[in-house]
Amino acid sequence: MGLLKDLSQKYRTLSIVGMAKNAGKTTALNFLIEEAMDEGVVLGVTSTGRDGETQDLVTGTEKPRVYLDQGSLVTVPSQLYELADAGLEILERTKYSTAIGELLICRVEDAGYVQVAGPVIAAETKKLCQDMFRYGVDLVLIDGAIDRKSVANPETSDAIILSTGAVLSRSLKNVVEETAHIVELYELPEFRENDAITDFLRKDNFEHITVFDEDGKPTVLDLITGLGASGEINDAIKEDTRYIFIPGAMTNSVIADISLKNLQKVEFILKDPTRIFISKIDWGRLRKRGLRIKVLKNIEIAAITVNPWSPKGYSFDSDLLISEMREVLTDIPVIDVRR
Amino acid sequence: MSENKTATTVADLTKVKPYGDTLNDGKVEMAFTLPVPYGEEAEECAKQYVKKLGFEEPNVTYYHELAPGYTFFVVYGSAQQTIDYTAIKVPKVEGTVMDRVECGEWIGENVGRDITVVGASIESDAHTVGIDAIIQMKGFHGHFGLERFKHVVPYNMGSQVPCEELIAKAKEVNADAILVSQTVTQKDIHIMNLTKMVELVEAEGLRDKVILTCGGPRISHELAQELGYDAGFGPGKYAEHVMSYIMQEVVKRGWQDKPLIADR
Repeated sequence: MGLLKDLSQKYRTLSIVGMAKNAGKTTALNFLIEEAMDEGVVLGVTSTGRDGETQDLVTGTEKPRVYLDQGSLVTVPSQLYELADAGLEILERTKYSTAIGELLICRVEDAGYVQVAGPVIAAETKKLCQDMFRYGVDLVLIDGAIDRKSVANPETSDAIILSTGAVLSRSLKNVVEETAHIVELYELPEFRENDAITDFLRKDNFEHITVFDEDGKPTVLDLITGLGASGEINDAIKEDTRYIFIPGAMTNSVIADISLKNLQKVEFILKDPTRIFISKIDWGRLRKRGLRIKVLKNIEIAAITVNPWSPKGYSFDSDLLISEMREVLTDIPVIDVRR
Repeated sequence: MSENKTATTVADLTKVKPYGDTLNDGKVEMAFTLPVPYGEEAEECAKQYVKKLGFEEPNVTYYHELAPGYTFFVVYGSAQQTIDYTAIKVPKVEGTVMDRVECGEWIGENVGRDITVVGASIESDAHTVGIDAIIQMKGFHGHFGLERFKHVVPYNMGSQVPCEELIAKAKEVNADAILVSQTVTQKDIHIMNLTKMVELVEAEGLRDKVILTCGGPRISHELAQELGYDAGFGPGKYAEHVMSYIMQEVVKRGWQDKPLIADR
């Protein structure tokens, strides 16, 4: 069975997330679209575009320009409609707007290049996907527009496709390890131990640093941020503290001053893996010391695309890079997009 | 026949090309290094390379050996390509720009409270020149900094400030805006640092509760927006540009009565 057919049976919406700028995200997107054409999967394509990269109407180089086959659905802002090289039939004028006009849902009638743009707000992207399903697509691909990992947020899509590549480092070993690190973070286990705590944290978009004892009794700390507050957090860990909820970013400065004893005793609960900003090396060190993290919602990685070419002018042996990747990431399909 | 017998003296803005000695001669000076040993073959190599780039009449005016196997060149050539200047659209920070005194008065009248900003040169960058130019009293190039503005409370945290500290400070003082400065741009380090900053701001749930701006010699408004910032300030922008934007944005977002981040 083809990759896309397989994915379209497991997931409804997939976000494409780049590990770094120029990791080959657009190449990956075009590759997936091409595969979909071959396998007869009807695609919907949108993006989580911000104003910035869609404003350059002159050269069009900054924008993701994708080649779409007849029958695919795509979201295009009204001002870019005229510029599309593909023949587009407007199915619907949506109520979502971008800096360059209201969004149109279009069906490709004549294959060609299209400049894709989507809503700025994640919640709107979700609704838009629903609209596209009404027109009978099998799978919606959401282009992460900007190469920032926060678009991996599990609220946006069912799963992600992680784009990685040579651009990360001149050392093949580093490329593999950095990718494996992100995969490990994204696949952190979800917190299931105590439903009372989960319910407590889920309601009303709870935003306070809170410690829980063994029975799940919460104590809300008087802290505006966890950043640089590891001393205060350490002081708040009592004999019977079991869990700590950190609503914001998880960095070294949140844990630096927590004593070894306390670190081993408690488990951290985060909203999702995109909140973690701990380098590969520190992560390994902290894990050895006993750091345990669970998340309210983790991120499912449907596939990893690898680009062995870097725009900085170097490349790796594609077979070697792919095989090293597969050795480390055994559960996820790894694809070379330049094949 | 036209009566005008002189050569073109007015540039055609729909077809602009570089100016050297005379209009439209297309002359460009290039400097680069090739990984080839110094010698006449190297000179020819540079010439052919420049020709391949699309320049005509390449002239190597200077070259020397940088290190064994590397040669540095200065080459002149005539560019053939033209650009339609009239079709260029550059995204710019919106709003009117007022001077220092006007900004103070405008804030007093329209915001009715002090505007708090926190700024720093973040992460590996040790250069304070950018953030000082905007915040410090003496300012830059005759343009006083935010410390001299009325109704503005600026915090200048200096250089090599970790993103975490900057965010913690912004939360502590309930900043309306964060100013991030990046001077060093080698190997795109500024992109890495700025991305880290915006991702942390996002993770901290602060992104829509603060005006996030950045500035530096290689920063444009377009780049800033692409990275997920609200605005970017490049060369030639001073404290009054930054504050004019911030104060109008505060009003646009209706934060006049919301000095506390928690209320926004």
